[in-house]
Amino acid sequence: MEEEYDIIVIGAGFGGSVAAKLSADAGLKTSIFERSKNVGDKVISGLTIPFYGFLFGPYFIRDGNPPFERPSDGVENYIFNDLEKGDIIIDDSLKVPKPLSPIIAFGYNTYCKPFCQWQAQKAIEAGAELYTSTTITDFIKEDGYIKGVVTDEGKEIRGKLIINAEGSQGLLAIKAGMREKYPPEAISLADTYDYIMPKEEVDKIFGFSEKFCWGWDEQKAAPPLGHGNGLMVWPYRNSLHFMQDQCLRVNQKVPNLKKLFDLYHHNITSKWPFWKQLAPRIKLRARMWENFEIYVGLNKKLHKNPMETNGMILIGDVAGLESTELCDGVPAAWFSAEAAAEVAIDAIKADDVSKEFLKKYETTIRNHPIIKWSISGRNRYNLRFAQEEHDLKILKKYIHNGWGLGALSSFTSPFLQILLPYLNKDPTIISKWIKMYFRYFQNWLHKSYDFYQKRVNKISSSKKIRNKERKFLRWMRVINVGMRAFRKMKKILKPFMIPLSHSLNTFLKGFLPIFESIYFALLKLTQPIRAKMGNKLIDFVDKANPSIFEIQNEG
Amino acid sequence: MVKTSKKFPGVEWIEGAGDFIKIDKEKCNGCANCINVCLAGCFEIVDKKAKIKTLEECMECASCWYICPEDAIKFFWPSGGTGYKSEWG
Repeated sequence: MEEEYDIIVIGAGFGGSVAAKLSADAGLKTSIFERSKNVGDKVISGLTIPFYGFLFGPYFIRDGNPPFERPSDGVENYIFNDLEKGDIIIDDSLKVPKPLSPIIAFGYNTYCKPFCQWQAQKAIEAGAELYTSTTITDFIKEDGYIKGVVTDEGKEIRGKLIINAEGSQGLLAIKAGMREKYPPEAISLADTYDYIMPKEEVDKIFGFSEKFCWGWDEQKAAPPLGHGNGLMVWPYRNSLHFMQDQCLRVNQKVPNLKKLFDLYHHNITSKWPFWKQLAPRIKLRARMWENFEIYVGLNKKLHKNPMETNGMILIGDVAGLESTELCDGVPAAWFSAEAAAEVAIDAIKADDVSKEFLKKYETTIRNHPIIKWSISGRNRYNLRFAQEEHDLKILKKYIHNGWGLGALSSFTSPFLQILLPYLNKDPTIISKWIKMYFRYFQNWLHKSYDFYQKRVNKISSSKKIRNKERKFLRWMRVINVGMRAFRKMKKILKPFMIPLSHSLNTFLKGFLPIFESIYFALLKLTQPIRAKMGNKLIDFVDKANPSIFEIQNEG
Repeated sequence: MVKTSKKFPGVEWIEGAGDFIKIDKEKCNGCANCINVCLAGCFEIVDKKAKIKTLEECMECASCWYICPEDAIKFFWPSGGTGYKSEWG
């Protein structure tokens, strides 16, 4: 441990191990320091990682076999207008319809620990050295540069560049003078419960959708609207995750969170009819909590905090990248880890770790279409105004625009803006994505992941399935040929595609009401056929030879 | 040694975390914000000043540190390999 590293990563959470893996992939001498005894011991979240994290995140996660608890086909919003009287409105417009659901999922629910361990293992395989049970307490500073870290045992470890993935509290970033403590209005305390529930019951009662609960503050059935994340329930494989969270300071006052969280939990579990259905089927397994930086992206001053200094880059939560809209920090942690590793590789090569050189990293983050969207969404924050006016129409509107189909009018442009360069860079990306979805779902069905129980490639005994496999592979080839042709047309399409991607949000804002009514009518009309197709698809993914969903080098 | 809690199942605490939260009595104004936000009940007020009752069930969320208006709470991560852990986060 005495020698000098090229890269020292602080923290083996979702961002840290990705940065380490990609740095090690490039041949850099990389180490990760993690304060907990085992990777993931201290990571807490109610977690759906949304699809865009997988599509546009690190290649080894997209093309790999990470551990999942359950695919998520989207959100069901429960709006408690009057919980006592059973006046509850449901907005489930963001649910993914069959035949896509649950194979083409909105995201994947997972426990943090196995996922973080999976990532760390990938980093180790790539050559990174992992040191657990090691808290970094300070930096080695020389000539205005951070030149290494100091452990809680007083050991000094030198590194050319530090990638700091310590998490939202940012104790070390503060020590380095890069930022201050975040204000309590921007921090949400997430009180999390884990319940055991038999898988067949979760399948029957939840299926694949998560439940978000919203209600007027005076009902005390959920945290105050717009001052925190809210209250949500996630179905896992054979368990549930329940999370209620709110900001530490609300309207200049410090609430008694101990009392309030108990009250919300009591009210929701005793008054919400849906919970009454769950109650006899579940058993509390764990309760824990953690803070995250919910509204940093919306605070002009905090938003401008630098993400680099001489010798160090901040990624993920310590850089304030938590999504204000979906409250999911994982995609941003991955995107920033990738961007950091890319700049780190260049910096080591150029022997320049000055903040001027590292600024490239910050530029990438600030221009990243999905990060830009995710840390600037105001629908959740705005719920407080619906409460102030006590206007159900406004409440429904923000919920629909945040976690209903209305989200298309803010997400479509950034999605296209990131999609186009991806298609351009790798014309086989679409087939990789389809294989990813099928492989993930097959892994979920058979509970098989790397380092746990890998699926064995086996030729199917059914001729029908083998025919379908051939058809599937043929389709993948057709898609790849089509995408190569599309890439050639790029120059012709460019004048249209870029303005189109920029203006789609605006267009959708006006067009959505018409689009939505057509969309729902079509869904209703095609329901029986879609259900049949969906079941056939699931049957195929269940029985197919896993090798057909693997990613070979397809150039 | 590992400790568990009846109040908070599914969590373990590895001993040896030490005094990773400290209160500067001179700075403390006795506002009790730390008591309000701490779900583990780590704090109490003695002689109009906050005092650490126990850190045995602390989950290292740092809410007390965030909320203290006088910056009287010093918070740093416990020593490596100690403090809370859970499989179910």
